[in-house]
This record gives sequence, C-alpha cells and structure tokens, in this order.
Amino acid sequence: MKGFSSKQIVIGSLVLAVAIVLPLIFTSTFFQHVMILVFMFGVMGVAWNIMGGYAGMFSFGQVAFFGIGAYTSSFLLMTYGVNPWVGLVIGGLVAALVAAALGYPCSNLRGHYFAIASIAFGEIVRTHFNNWKLVGAAEGLSLPMLDGGMKDFMFHSSKLPYYYIVLAFLLLALLVCRMVSRSKMGYYFRAIKESHDVAQVLGINVARYRLVAIMVSAFLTAMAGTFYAQYILYIDPDSVMILPVSVQIVLIAMLGGAGTVMGPLIGAAILMPISEVTRVYLGYKGTGIDMLVYGFLITLISVYQPKGVWGLVSNRAKRVG
Amino acid sequence: MPEQLLQQIVNGLMIGFMYSLIAIGLTLIWGVMNIVNFAHGDFLMVGMFASFWLYTLYGLDPLFSIPICAVLLFVIGVLLYRFVVSKVMSGPILAQLVVTFGISIFIANLAVYLWTPDFRLIDKPLLSGTWHLGDVQLSIPKAVASLGSIVTSAAVFLFLKKTKTGKAILATEMDREAALLMGINTERINSLSFGLGAALVGIAGAFLSTYYYIYPQVGGLFGTIAFSIVALGGFGSISGAFIAGILVGLVQTLGGFFFDPAYKYAIVFMIYLITVWIRPQGLLGW
Amino acid sequence: MRTMRLSIVCAASLIALLVLGGASLAQQPKVIKIGAVYPLTGNIASTGLDCRRGAELAVDIINGKYDLNLPLAKTEGLPNLGGAKIELVFADTKGDPKNGMSEAERLVSQEKVVAMIGAYQSAVTKTASQATERLKVPYVCSDSSSPTLTERNFKYFFRVSPHDGSFAKDQFQFLKDLEKKKSQKIATIALLYENTEFGSNVGKAANQYAKEFGYKVVADISYAANATDVTSEVGVLIKAKPDVLMHASYITDAILFTKTFKEMNFAPKGIMTFAGYIEPAYLPAVKSDGDYIIIRSTFALDLAKGKPLVAQVNELFKKKYGIDMSENAARSFAAPFVLADAINRAKSTKSEDIVKALLATNIPGDQVIYPWKGVKFDPKTHQNIYARGTLVQVLDEKYATVWPFDAAAKDVVWPFPGWRGRK
Repeated sequence: MKGFSSKQIVIGSLVLAVAIVLPLIFTSTFFQHVMILVFMFGVMGVAWNIMGGYAGMFSFGQVAFFGIGAYTSSFLLMTYGVNPWVGLVIGGLVAALVAAALGYPCSNLRGHYFAIASIAFGEIVRTHFNNWKLVGAAEGLSLPMLDGGMKDFMFHSSKLPYYYIVLAFLLLALLVCRMVSRSKMGYYFRAIKESHDVAQVLGINVARYRLVAIMVSAFLTAMAGTFYAQYILYIDPDSVMILPVSVQIVLIAMLGGAGTVMGPLIGAAILMPISEVTRVYLGYKGTGIDMLVYGFLITLISVYQPKGVWGLVSNRAKRVG
Repeated sequence: MPEQLLQQIVNGLMIGFMYSLIAIGLTLIWGVMNIVNFAHGDFLMVGMFASFWLYTLYGLDPLFSIPICAVLLFVIGVLLYRFVVSKVMSGPILAQLVVTFGISIFIANLAVYLWTPDFRLIDKPLLSGTWHLGDVQLSIPKAVASLGSIVTSAAVFLFLKKTKTGKAILATEMDREAALLMGINTERINSLSFGLGAALVGIAGAFLSTYYYIYPQVGGLFGTIAFSIVALGGFGSISGAFIAGILVGLVQTLGGFFFDPAYKYAIVFMIYLITVWIRPQGLLGW
Repeated sequence: MRTMRLSIVCAASLIALLVLGGASLAQQPKVIKIGAVYPLTGNIASTGLDCRRGAELAVDIINGKYDLNLPLAKTEGLPNLGGAKIELVFADTKGDPKNGMSEAERLVSQEKVVAMIGAYQSAVTKTASQATERLKVPYVCSDSSSPTLTERNFKYFFRVSPHDGSFAKDQFQFLKDLEKKKSQKIATIALLYENTEFGSNVGKAANQYAKEFGYKVVADISYAANATDVTSEVGVLIKAKPDVLMHASYITDAILFTKTFKEMNFAPKGIMTFAGYIEPAYLPAVKSDGDYIIIRSTFALDLAKGKPLVAQVNELFKKKYGIDMSENAARSFAAPFVLADAINRAKSTKSEDIVKALLATNIPGDQVIYPWKGVKFDPKTHQNIYARGTLVQVLDEKYATVWPFDAAAKDVVWPFPGWRGRK
C-alpha cells in the first residue's frame, strides 16, 4: 500500500467498513439495488476519469464499451458456455482493442471535437449492434438462468453477492486510477492537459500515453457492462448502448470532481439515489420533475463549482488544515 | 437514370436544407465562443412548440409565427448566456461542455412538465400538399422550409459580412484577443451571437413544425446530427455548415436508399469520423 | 378448587379460540395487493396512462357490485376470501428494463404484493418477470406482445393476450382468406419495422410466416423510430413494388410514414400494420389520411355488435375517464380479472396456490370483452391458447373490424384506393 498517508488509510478503512456493513443493516432490496447502481456507475465514472479527467479526452461515448463488455460475455456464455468470469476478462480486452482501434485516431482531437467524435462513435456502435443478427440485433440477449453461485456469476436469492462483487470492482477501479494518477503517466497527463503543445515539445509521447489511458478506461467500463448483464439478465442495444448512459457517466465524474480519484464515487453517490428516489416518489405522476431537478443541479454545479463536490470538500479541508 | 434517384436527391436536398439552417446557428455559437451548445436541439424544440401554441391558441399559421419564434429564441438565448453560460467561460473546458448539457436536460423536461410528453401536430398549415412534377413528388411544406433556409442563411451571411455588428462578430470569431484590442466588446458579441444562434434554430423549428411532429425530446437526433454537420463544415464557418448540411442530407438519403436505411445515421456519423481523422479542421474551417 | 380449574380451562379455551380465530382471520386478508409496473413517465407516458386506466377499471369492477357478465363482477371483492378487495400498487418503469426489475423487486419485498401485472414494453416485462420468477411470485401479462416472453419455460409467468407471432400469422391468414373471397392474387410482401425489440420480432415472425404461406418478401427494412426523415425507406419500398406492405411501428413513426406515403404516392394494394396506427392519438393526427389502413387489434368498439358486454364496459370506462376505451386500456383490462379469478378459486394468496389455480383457468368466451373463445393457458408455455387478434380497417376515420370475415362489422375495402383523389 505504498504512498498512502496514515490519515488516508484510517478514513479509507472506515468508509470501506461502512460500505461492507451497510447492506446487512439496511436489508431492503431497493436500497441494495440503489447502492449497486452507485457502485456500478462509480466504476464507470472512475474509468471515465482516467481518460477524461486526467488525460483530457472528454468521452461522451463510454456506453459503447459498457455495451461491448455486456454483449461479449453474454454472447460467449450463451453460445459457447464460456464462464462469465472468463467472459468478463475477454469483454474487457475486446473493448480495449476497439478503443485502441477507433479511439486512437481520435485521440489527437481537441476537447470539443473529441467529445463529438465519441458521441458519433457510440451511435455507430449502437446502430451496428442493433442490426447484428448474430447477437440478437434489436431483440437483445436474455441470459439463461444458471444455477447460481459464485462460479456462475449469478445469484437468485439475494442481492448481497452482487453488492460485494461490484464493490470489489469499484475498489479495483479506484486503485487503478490512483496508480495512474501517481505514476509518471499521470504526471504527464496533467502536463498534456495543461498544454498539449508544450507537452509535445517536451518530448512526451502524448500519443502512447493517451492510447494506454483509453484502453484502461475501456477495460474497466466493459467490466461494469458484464456485471450489468449478469445482474439484470437481459440486455439490448436500447438499454446498454444509448447516449444518455454516456452522459450520465460524464455528469457523475463532473459532479463529484473530474481529475480526482474519489470524485466520481461521490458523484455517483449523489446522482444515482436522486435519480432513483425521485423516480419512485415523484416520477409516477408523469411530470419529469426528477429530471428537472437533475438538469438544474448539473447546470448549477458546472457554473459554481466546476471542480465538483470533491472540489468543495477539499477547499474546505485546505482552509481548515 | 434509375427510378427514384431524382426523387431521393430532391428529398435529400430538402432535409439537407433543414439541417443547414439548424447547423448555422450552432456553428455561430461555437465559432464565436468555443462552446458546443448541447441544448441546440432543445432550442429547436422550443421553436417548434412556440409555433404550435401560436397556431393552436391564436390560429397563427407557422409561416407568420417565424418572426415571433426568432425573437423569442433570441431573448431566451441572450438571457441564458448572460445568467448561466457567461459564468463558465473562464472555467475549465469540461464545465463548458456540461453546462449546456444541464440546460438541455432542464429545458427538455420543463417541456415535459408543462406540455406532457404527448406529441403534437400542426394539421392544416397554410402551405400543405404535394406538387407533382413528373416523376418527382415535391412536398410543399418541405420545399417552403428549404427556401426559407436558403433565404435565412443568405441573410445571415450578408449580415455578418456587411454590417458593423456582423463584422465585429466575425472578427471575434477569428481572433478574440485582437478583437478585444480593437475595442470590440467581446462579451456583448458573445451574448449577441448566442442569441442569434438560438434565433436561427428557432426559425428552423417554426419551419420544421409545418411537417414534423412536435414533442419534448424531438431535439435529440436533430441536435446530434447538427454537431456532426458543424464539425464537418468546420466550426465557425457559416458557409461550411450550410454546405455540410446539404451534404449530410444527401448522404443520409442516398445512403439509406442505396445501401440500407437501418444504417443511414451510422453512415453520417462515419463520415464525420473520417473527416476529422483526415482533416480535423473540417471542410472549410481554419 | 373445581371452579378454579374450570375457569382456567375456560380462559384457556377462550384464548385458544381467539388466537385460532385471529389467525384464520389473519389468513383472510381484507386487501390483496397486486403490483402494476408501467411506463408512467417518459416518452410513452400517455400509453402508460392508458394501461393504468384499463387495469384500474378492472379492479373497480371486481371490488364493486356490477351486473356484468365478467368474472367476480357481481360480487363485491373476492367471495371465497371473505370479500377481500384487490388493491393495485403502481410503479413507474420509465420504459427502462433495469427499472422493471428493481420496481418488481421493490413491489414484492417492500409493498408485499402477491402478484404482478404489466409492463407494456416487452423489454421491461422481460426483466420484471425475471425478477418475479426469481422471487417466485406469479405474473400475469396482458399487454406485452413479444413472442419470446412465453418461450422461456417460466413457471410463474402467464400471458393472456395474443403475441406478435400470432398477430403476424393472422395477417397472412387474412391475405389467404382475402384471395379466396375477392378472387385476387397476392404474391409479394414488403416488411417495414422499427428497430427495437418489438419491431424486429414482428419482422422475424413475418418472414417466417411469409415463407409458410407462400408469399415472396421483396423488401425487408428496419428503421429508427425517431428518424428525422423517412424518404429513403419509402423510396426503397416504391422501388420494390410490393403487393402488400406490413408495417410494425410506434405512433410517431406511424404518423411520419403515413405522411411520407402520401407525399411520395406509395400505394400498394394493402397497407397492413401493427400497434402504432391504433394508438388513440393516430387518427386525430392524420385524419382522413389514415383511411383504408388495416391494423391488427385485440379490441375494437364495434365488437359490441356481437357482444353487448363490450358496449357496457366501454360505458363504464367513458363514465369514469371521459373517453372511449382504447386498445391498450382494453388489453390491460384483462390481467386483473384473470388473477382475481385464480386467487378466488385458490382461496389463498400463496404463490404456489395461485399458480396452480392459474393453470386451471378456464374463463368462458362470453365473459371477456375480446373475440376469444375464452382464457385457458397452455400448460407448458403459459400462453392463453384462445388469444387471437382481429384486423380492423380505418373507414371514415373510425376503426371497423373487418376480419375474421364472419365476425366483421364492415366489409373490407381492398385494394387500397390510393392517395390521389381523396380529400
């Protein structure tokens, strides 16, 4: 555990302990479901951060990797009986390769251009899957109900295993992100973000580092996709490849604090419960109030605290300490 | 000439002209302020609804509500700039990207709240029906909208090239610092451009409402396509956006007809990707 | 001493009686909760509202006393459970499959519903019913039409209404019947369908039945429902010169295509459609342009001709909501009756008992508002074997049942008279 201050270790362990104990105290499946969503989007927000918050490539097309992960593992499971855990890794690799192939030529694009290119990319992938008969096209894939248990990556009687698995994924993502941020690569990213041209003049191999960032980000996002498929047991392009999911990922990272390790987790912890709770208690009157609140919050955050909530917190901490 | 080819070209041109009109507003905002207005599609929606309500409540034909829609969207644009967007101009790029997303979600859902998600139609506009010119069926509302797009684009072009304010906008677009040094009030230009960009897409909305159905999320696909058009034409270039819009309309229609309609939007996005790989500044950008 | 023992025995017996009586009373719930998942917000909130209304009317009839030939209408509540009333607990799915799952779970574990209905969109019904299958709770669906729902070998899932496979087959059967009746030859079919689960399932089924019935498919087009323009699609159709077009769409694309067909003068011998064209908002939007289009349907108001029950139910619906019953509302109207009937016969709210009762369901045809022989579930797939659709044609801006020919209210107009020369 190199490089963690003792304060960080204590706080980290405390938070982790709470996360572990929480679903045992609050046993409502709805609560557990919301927390699972928080962690799952947390993974994707952290993954986005590696590309966007750190390396300055603001991707609005992450959902493509999410979908590729979900589809790869599900297709392999249904057609060849491949174990979902193996499918998880394969899905991540496929996503990373696609990211390298398509993302790399785009990685030199400046902020806005890259963002639009990523939207275009996401839509192309979705259209393709929507028409690809091999993977069910628009009908999607219904995963078979296996016996259940760790080896099947499927659990029927309780959500707890899902909860802990996605929590583990989140920890993995956070660790990777931290590694990136503290590594030479992360240092260079900050340089690249500050000024693309200066970094290039200094001889930093911008292209190579961007490639690595894209691939790592895609791998982690695809992991979340496989998790989703094993959790919901049904995927179709209309639910795992649509632009709103990409936007949500960006918003989570942004709200919590782009370019920070914990930021996306905070963002997810705020946005997912708001979205779910307002839907359950306000939504059913059919008036879209929950999304109104959402949009308003996002506008507010980008105007007044673009560093996100984490920015707020660390400012306060700096002032105090 | 294979049958249907002429018909498809005509239709491609017509949808292209509509795209062009939507795109020039977006490129103006983008060029002047370097902001991608993700709420552009929602401004289109507001224009469409404004036209619809004027028709339903006051019996005003969409053609006559064009000036009203333009003014309404101009005001909305300026206010949004003054009170929201201007505050992120000095912030990080991500904030600039996200703020218009927030506005987009807000506007779309405000529309849901106020007007329900049901879609609406203007059923008897003044100019409706079809002209039958030989083998080609020309939809009158679409033809009128295309004409309107050409006229509006020409007007904007002239405004930018010939008037003092217009030239100031162009100057700010080209080199912001220099414009500032020349005594141009760039903040005022910003808010003017944002308002103008919104007004242009408001006009597009009024025209579109004569033949397309109206509902809160209608801005979605039109907006996404508009981004591709602007980037294809080169951000900031009005003529670039205009030409790119027509090109995209043709590609979409002919690609859909000859290749596979299921892929027609994917083809449009593919063209965008290829263009930015080969020529990042777009066709006519700098 | 004796009195003491006597009083203790009496007290004990009294307590025992109270406890036992109380326990049996507890087993007779006064309210039976049924979960209902529908898209109450989002793009198709108006359809969700339609469905909600149909289900609510059904529950009203069950809970109240009505002189109608519907199951449990004449009694208040469920007689075999002491008059217990049904309570629908609604949840909003927003049309998202993951919400279907979480809402179904929430309704079962927190609201303690004993059964589920919904969810209109087949993708959402899939996940919601997966949740109930995992939780071993019965799910009766009467408003989702994907054939795949009853191909999963689920134990707790039942479907009352017809599915797109049988709807597609109906359309081809109609063509065969029509060829005989009007002595016309029909050879080629064009398929047009929106590209989500619904449309593509129809496309798949139609391709299969076209082959079976011996028709040639000359165009097979899938498109995005929210397209900005459909001239390419219609261009391809015109080029293919089909005798008949079969179109599976939602409401917005139904409108866009109708306008484009008229604009580009695409006029095959017949335009046969699914879903979107029978939404309540379609005819008000296109007015007379909708005339002569044929749509598959489970319900039409003119069924009242052969079945007065339909008119009676529509009267109630109109009184309560101010509008006529739509096809969606009519479909969602079925599930509560089937469940209530089963729970009543089971005399219990335990899942296993309800499932057993559902498997034994045999509601006669005169007790439903649809043109069916009744409700009876196939023991393996749990699909209602009597479910069938009809075909309606828009005539004078109204829906008229035209097939099966022996149940038709009006004679079908064929071929399609074209667009020119009409108002």
